[in-house]
Amino acid sequence: MRRVLALIAVIVTAILLQSTVFSQLRLLGVRPELLYLVTILIALQEGPNEGAVVGFTCGLAQDMLLDQPMGITALTLTLLGYAVGMARQYIVSPSPLVPTIVVAISTALGVAFYEIVTFLLGQFEAGFTYAVKVALLTALYNAVLTPILAPLLRRIVEGSRPRRVVRL
Amino acid sequence: MAARSGPRNTRLLVVALVVASLTIITVDYRQGDSGPLAAMGRTARTFMAPLQEAVTNVTRPVGNFFSGVAHLPSLAQENTDLKQQLADAQARINATSQIEAQNQELLSLLNLKQSLRPPSVPAVVISNGMSNVNYYITIDRGSNDGVRVNDPVVTGNQDGARLVGIVARVTSISADVRLLIDEGFSVPGRLATSGETGLVVGNGDQDLTMQDIPATTTFPTGTSTESVFTITYSVGDQHSRFPPNILIGTVSSVVQGGVQPDATVSVRPAVDFSSLEAVLVLQTANGGSS
Repeated sequence: MRRVLALIAVIVTAILLQSTVFSQLRLLGVRPELLYLVTILIALQEGPNEGAVVGFTCGLAQDMLLDQPMGITALTLTLLGYAVGMARQYIVSPSPLVPTIVVAISTALGVAFYEIVTFLLGQFEAGFTYAVKVALLTALYNAVLTPILAPLLRRIVEGSRPRRVVRL
Repeated sequence: MAARSGPRNTRLLVVALVVASLTIITVDYRQGDSGPLAAMGRTARTFMAPLQEAVTNVTRPVGNFFSGVAHLPSLAQENTDLKQQLADAQARINATSQIEAQNQELLSLLNLKQSLRPPSVPAVVISNGMSNVNYYITIDRGSNDGVRVNDPVVTGNQDGARLVGIVARVTSISADVRLLIDEGFSVPGRLATSGETGLVVGNGDQDLTMQDIPATTTFPTGTSTESVFTITYSVGDQHSRFPPNILIGTVSSVVQGGVQPDATVSVRPAVDFSSLEAVLVLQTANGGSS
């Protein structure tokens, strides 16, 4: 229960920050995708199961606040959380840069997937160049935020794990 | 959260979540604003609005500081441009007053009196949207304050109103405003000097595009600028959403010539959307059509 509440608090905080503070802090006209970042970091740390569930929850929460058909972000982040969670078994490097690189690549792919789905549903009217620009700049922005947010998120997730009681 | 389990259970979980997502997309797409999912969305936005307002109030000075730093290179150029525009505006005010007087006379003659200043509701911007592909803001006024879908939203000062966008969704305590620059947003506009009319269309972070302007149109040259204002029209049951004479922007570039019958006209919005803090929602009477 404590874990669920902690993750809900993380998601609500990410939504609030993205719609207020970070909407003013644009990088070349683009804002970060904090819910993508949260999904990727949790999937990287906890695996595909929690990655998919957290991704679905994050996506649905974001969909509630967007003027788009609901479910597109939920679909995107579910698949993103699962894919990153599955990919972590192939990551063997202990380099501290790994999360940053994974976040950059995953964000770019996730945003591109979202743009393709919205385009297929007739909800994306911007051109191809703009779509690529948004995907790449969002990836860059999320990568810049990773060293700041990853340790914080790791501490919250690890601190909310149920404690095992060993009886001797 | 989900319990740790084998790969088979994980795949089943993901398939279930994907099916759930696809179902939500389908149901929401088919039911639009009248379905249970839309009602859930309104509830969520109603819940989030006070939180967004509180966070915005606390963090706005910090956000403004960093936003200012990010815009520093463009501010010097903007300062020069504004000085130029100030001189132009001074000259234009005299001409505009004459045109307004003439316009009033004609409107009276045609018995087409329209209110240039419909009742309005002041609102504070509490969120600048969440998406990188849509341009929306959220304001702290909703249906309880008389705000309705399709109400025009403006900002400005004593010199006149400048168009911000149009109300897209409303909850009891907040409303989402689709900005003028959103892709596909369109508003009928008129060139101040030539009087030519066309459709001004949003282009995201690029300047707006004004369509249907004949290639033979004459534009001011030199340091003079050409402004674009809203127009109003009524064709059968169709009425424009916007009151007339709200400033949309100024022409930033024109490409004429070649075989194209229309000129390619770019319009820079009159509103700086990155620093928008307060707006007025115009409570127009015909907020449902067009």
